[in-house]
Amino acid sequence: MASSEATAGHGAGPPAGLSELFRGGDLAVRYPEVPALLEGLDGLEMTRAGQLLGRLDPADVLSRHPATRTIAVAVTGHGSVAPLQPALTAELARHGLLARTAVSPFGSYLFDLADPAGRLYADQPDLTICLLDAGVVFDELAVPWRPEDVRRVFAEKLRTLEKIVATFAENGRGTLVLNTLPLPFEIVAQLVDYRSRAALGAVWREANARLLGLMETGPAVVVLDLEPMAEELRLSDQRFRVYAGTPFTTELMARYAREVGHLAGGLAGQGRKCLVLDLDGTIWDGVLGEDGVDGIAISDGSRGQAFRAFQRVVKQLGAQGVLLAVVSKNEVSAVREVLRDRADMVLREEDFVRIAANWRPKHENLTELAQALNLGLDSFVFVDDSPHECGLVRRELPGVAVVCVDGDPALHAGRLLQDGWFTTREATEEDRARTERYRDELVRKDFLDGFESIEDYLRELGIVVRVRRAGPGDVPRLSQLTLRTNQFNLTTRRLQQPEVSALLRDPGRLVLAVEASDRFGDNGLVGAVFVRREADVLHIDNFLLSCRVFSRGIERGCLAALVEHAIATGVTAVSGEYRPTAKNGIVGDLYPRYGFRPVPAEAGDDGVARFRHDLREPLERPAHLQLEADFSGGTRS
Amino acid sequence: MNGIDDLITLIRDELGIAVTAGDAGRSLDEIPGWDSVHLLWLVTVVEQRTGRPASFPDLLQARDIEGLYAVLGGA
Repeated sequence: MASSEATAGHGAGPPAGLSELFRGGDLAVRYPEVPALLEGLDGLEMTRAGQLLGRLDPADVLSRHPATRTIAVAVTGHGSVAPLQPALTAELARHGLLARTAVSPFGSYLFDLADPAGRLYADQPDLTICLLDAGVVFDELAVPWRPEDVRRVFAEKLRTLEKIVATFAENGRGTLVLNTLPLPFEIVAQLVDYRSRAALGAVWREANARLLGLMETGPAVVVLDLEPMAEELRLSDQRFRVYAGTPFTTELMARYAREVGHLAGGLAGQGRKCLVLDLDGTIWDGVLGEDGVDGIAISDGSRGQAFRAFQRVVKQLGAQGVLLAVVSKNEVSAVREVLRDRADMVLREEDFVRIAANWRPKHENLTELAQALNLGLDSFVFVDDSPHECGLVRRELPGVAVVCVDGDPALHAGRLLQDGWFTTREATEEDRARTERYRDELVRKDFLDGFESIEDYLRELGIVVRVRRAGPGDVPRLSQLTLRTNQFNLTTRRLQQPEVSALLRDPGRLVLAVEASDRFGDNGLVGAVFVRREADVLHIDNFLLSCRVFSRGIERGCLAALVEHAIATGVTAVSGEYRPTAKNGIVGDLYPRYGFRPVPAEAGDDGVARFRHDLREPLERPAHLQLEADFSGGTRS
Repeated sequence: MNGIDDLITLIRDELGIAVTAGDAGRSLDEIPGWDSVHLLWLVTVVEQRTGRPASFPDLLQARDIEGLYAVLGGA
């Protein structure tokens, strides 16, 4: 081929910035820049980047950047799974996670996952990926085969997978990721009659449905539905499959890796929370300022209908706990008029937590929005049709995920959804009511403006705090709080659901759920205290509070309740610790503020500050709130 | 590809393996960081660039970079 081809167009080598750093030997030194360098890359480009990132020694990166978050990953499966590693490395790096990956040899999943005494369980990875493909079933079929044979073998395999899931739940740590088995055309077409093909299709889908049902067996398992991911991508490359045992194309592996990246990001507490939308050209056709409220197209004509379809997708996300906001260069009165009066709008004023329509730079509006909602900018996804605005936000606020939609509104939804920024293992009831709660919060802020002092405000707010022993029904929300809360999080210990369940069962532990409400509404389960009893001391392993309810004395109420409980049950002290992170500075002086005294640091404390309350006198309850404490059961030592 | 040097550059840039012209005749097993799984990525990249398929069974037979070039150079 001509040398000009070697550098032309798509496939022109790894992303320039990353390559340069790698060639210069600076990739480990400048590792914190990696997420930004990966922004906007497609699947194959991510695989490329991952080839280079995979050359880094994680220990080297960590020695230079000790605060880098790491994730231990085990990759196993039915076929050759090593080709998944580069894309996976890059996708995890995109979420700020430095992967330490162990890749199993060809076809090791049974060996790895069925034996609790094996290496995989000993390694205790955070994430165990078991990549399955149709070969799981077809490699065991003799020729000739009929749909009935497929049913029998798939059923056997499902029983094996059920056992694996049970073994993992019992012995594994972290999350096990399985997937459905897409049915290749090459297999379907081996049956010559349509009746048999229909029977095979039915058998296959029933079995895949049972596979998906494994997710209901417990919180440690995630079953990804691979079939929809393969849409628009080739499922497999026959040569790679036959000669190298690689079940899927590089493109599909990259797509799968992207999904796993989002899953891992979410499990590590880095899920996105807020979708910020531009208006003109993004959710409707036309320019409001020029075309007027009645001139913009929302359902008129084919383009209008495409915008309306996009609005439906946005509304669907909002209904599941994604906060929606507007940042648009427009007159706010006109925007409100559209949201209120245009009958064909799907999105309405009440769907948004905030509408920032003005003529200021969008990054300033985004920064203010983050402050108002008490969220980090890394919780935001911003959608705009203007490459200029997208570029500006990307440059000014690198933490914000930017989705640049283009001139064709039919493609908007796909652009937004192809990157699963809001994907989470589980949406809780709290999520579904989130927009309303944040809106209540903004109303509270307006209410606050009317008071002379914060004390007056708090008194008028009529806060009721209930601190109670947590039950099994609280597990998803408690886990979610540990994963999502970054600011009011004393030790930032992330807990997956099985870990929370284990703490609830442990008689030496006390897990407290904190609920709050006030005159504006119910805040729901907003906090948690994880306590361990050691001899005659209660030790607070972690204390967290949702950022929605800061600065209302709720934290004082919780500690007062715990101190009262400690005194009543005859312990001699309550101790706690603060582990500083980049985001939890707000609680650095929490314990000393409430009568806890610093304890001298011990060797190996590594920046952790320890505190102790000697219980000589109780911690006074805050006068402005009604505190209900129910520790029934108490801790047993 | 205009010559084996192009393939060596490709291995360096795409796979991050520090090979030089002097490694062309070295057994792949002796090249630090080399793994047979890398063949998949090399084939993907070369086929994407040339639009022509390479023979996978022949590649699997190759013992060194010269052997890889004998297959990929014609792709």
